[in-house]
Amino acid sequence: MKAHLLLFMRIIYIHRCPLNEVAPPGQVVEVFGKAIQALSRVSDELWLDPSEKGLALRSVNSCRSAYGCVLFSPVFFQHYQWSASVKMNDTDIILNLNCRLGMKSILPIFRCLNSLEKNVEKCKIFTRSDKCKVVIQFFCRHGIKKIHNVCFQGSRPLQVIFQKNMCANTLVIQPRVLAEAIVLFTSSQEEVTLAVTPLKVCIKSSNEESMDLTDSVYSEMFVGPDEFDFFQIGIDTEITFCFKELKGVLTFSEAIHAPIAIHFDFPGKPMALSIDDMLLEANFILATLADEPSRASSLQTLYLSQKQRRSEPIHSNSKAGKNITSKVPEYISRKVEPKRLYSNETPTNISTLENCGSPLMKRANKDITEVPESDGNLSEVPESSVSDTEDVPGSPCLKKFSCMFFGAASSDQQEPFSLPFQSLATASGSEEDMNNGSFSTF
Amino acid sequence: MPLLTQRIPDENDYCLVASLDNVRNLSTILKAIHFREHATCFATKNGIKVTVENAKCVQANAFIQAGIFQEFRVQEESVTFRINLTVLLDCLSIFGSSPVPVFVSIAGTFTALRMCYQGYGYPLMLFLEEGGVVTVCKINTQEPEETLDFDFCSTNVINKIILQSEGLREAFSELDMTSEVLQITMSPDKPYFRLSTFGNAGSSHLDYPKDSDLMELFHCNETQVNRYKISLLKPSTKALVLSCKVSIRTDNRGFLSLQYMIRNEDGQICFVEYYCCPDEEVPDS
Repeated sequence: MKAHLLLFMRIIYIHRCPLNEVAPPGQVVEVFGKAIQALSRVSDELWLDPSEKGLALRSVNSCRSAYGCVLFSPVFFQHYQWSASVKMNDTDIILNLNCRLGMKSILPIFRCLNSLEKNVEKCKIFTRSDKCKVVIQFFCRHGIKKIHNVCFQGSRPLQVIFQKNMCANTLVIQPRVLAEAIVLFTSSQEEVTLAVTPLKVCIKSSNEESMDLTDSVYSEMFVGPDEFDFFQIGIDTEITFCFKELKGVLTFSEAIHAPIAIHFDFPGKPMALSIDDMLLEANFILATLADEPSRASSLQTLYLSQKQRRSEPIHSNSKAGKNITSKVPEYISRKVEPKRLYSNETPTNISTLENCGSPLMKRANKDITEVPESDGNLSEVPESSVSDTEDVPGSPCLKKFSCMFFGAASSDQQEPFSLPFQSLATASGSEEDMNNGSFSTF
Repeated sequence: MPLLTQRIPDENDYCLVASLDNVRNLSTILKAIHFREHATCFATKNGIKVTVENAKCVQANAFIQAGIFQEFRVQEESVTFRINLTVLLDCLSIFGSSPVPVFVSIAGTFTALRMCYQGYGYPLMLFLEEGGVVTVCKINTQEPEETLDFDFCSTNVINKIILQSEGLREAFSELDMTSEVLQITMSPDKPYFRLSTFGNAGSSHLDYPKDSDLMELFHCNETQVNRYKISLLKPSTKALVLSCKVSIRTDNRGFLSLQYMIRNEDGQICFVEYYCCPDEEVPDS
């Protein structure tokens, strides 16, 4: 290996945070690993995206309904050095390299965090862009050195810009309280519903859970406003979102002992789970179910839901507020036929919030072709999707996730991007994007 | 003892008799080599050697020397039989296999074992006793199979390292099993002792410096890089977790010997040995 051929694009040392000298290096590595574990709940790909603001780890799932980003500030590391581009040795070609890693590759390295915490004295991470490798070195006790060479693919990282401060509702909760609140949910729980009024907050099993009898526990947990560090409810609402990402964020916030902020509005608009710490900032943006008369509920149908979207852009629904009426706290009941339960109390003509609030994602690369045609015509619905998407009068109101990034894709036949939607998400097409602060508005 | 009234063989009818106050001193060692269903047992006056093999490429031997037993008699020069190791271990732990709390064990609630074998064609008889309750097990023995001779001779050993097992334990438990091979590098120069895997996660290397405090002996004469099927080596983790020290040797053919020193509950030392043949030649790189 000739030294002048080595291209060290980014050199990152994780050792000891200077602001917190007591933290042993293993613990810092543990936090880093916990972040990766939390992001692994979102998707099976991870972007390493360094910038002057620090190292961002990003993840977005394939149906674009969940996005996670953990930004480690430069002072989190003992030494942090990065450059946006690489100059090939003699030629003046500037390569803009971004690292997309398979979660399968990187997660095993950070799986045994207990032993990393115990043994690691220093961790050094750098990229070797000449070989498309990220090198992770652990310097452990007894002089043992672990070296992991993980291949990456050059791929631009995504950024989602979500104005979380604009959300009407914000709750800040300590991880311990949230953990107690969700302890009754089983691991098979796919979605949970958060219902809020200025007086109380209810976390409950989603109404949309499948009806097989093995999964028939329905739980509700009430949390009073006093339990929150910050409690601001602008609109009474009831949102349903994926549980596994929430659990990932919770585990992460428990590890760093930082409260979780939940920002949300109405059903169908994405919500944000965020953690702000001195040394890092985590933001997880999750799609929420839009009230919509169709029967799909699982995440797999996210994409399909685009096609099934109905065409009239309609008024916002005012279902919020009627949810907590007669429920007994913590009651658990068998859900034999839950759809029946809700069929009477639900308006039949609930609409989606087509053109307000759902962020739109643009990608600078070819993935832009993924934008689904939003077709009012249902004939193209693949057979795997649920059949009765027609609005049968009197049919129960069922909800479905709006794909948050494409959720704004229009209901009529126009090109999605020609519409004057507020662009809430952009790919970090260039470093200027990041430098001129678009990240900070995230 | 109605079970034994049919015909009680005379003590002299048995070609092998062994008694043990604490059955776990035997079962623990056998568990360390339990990666295949069947095992071959050889008993001589020095003790019992139990051998398990796989794929004609790996062999594990557990040595339980006569001194471990409170009574050990072999009538013939050597006694050999093949036995279902899973069944044997199930029988040995018939009173439970979890460690007895210390204060209870002082009170003497070990499971005691008396093991008798009458000879070719007869079952292996186990008498297990705990707290006055006796269980009698008869395990059918099978035709002994010829075991592999790895011809691993200490005079041909090129490189030898003795490590405290603690240092290898985590490494083996975290081995990237998506890698087909484990590559072992032993060298008088850097990286001295390196374990490498090449799996989905890319390549991983684990380097042990020769002056590490885990390194009890470092005796490497020339650089050797050998690959071993990870699926064959992984079962040795069972022995590794029980052991306190491990000796890693390679000979001039690249054959690997892993010797695990295991201290039993009475503080006696037993050995478990794994032999493994190397995978194909490593291309120069």
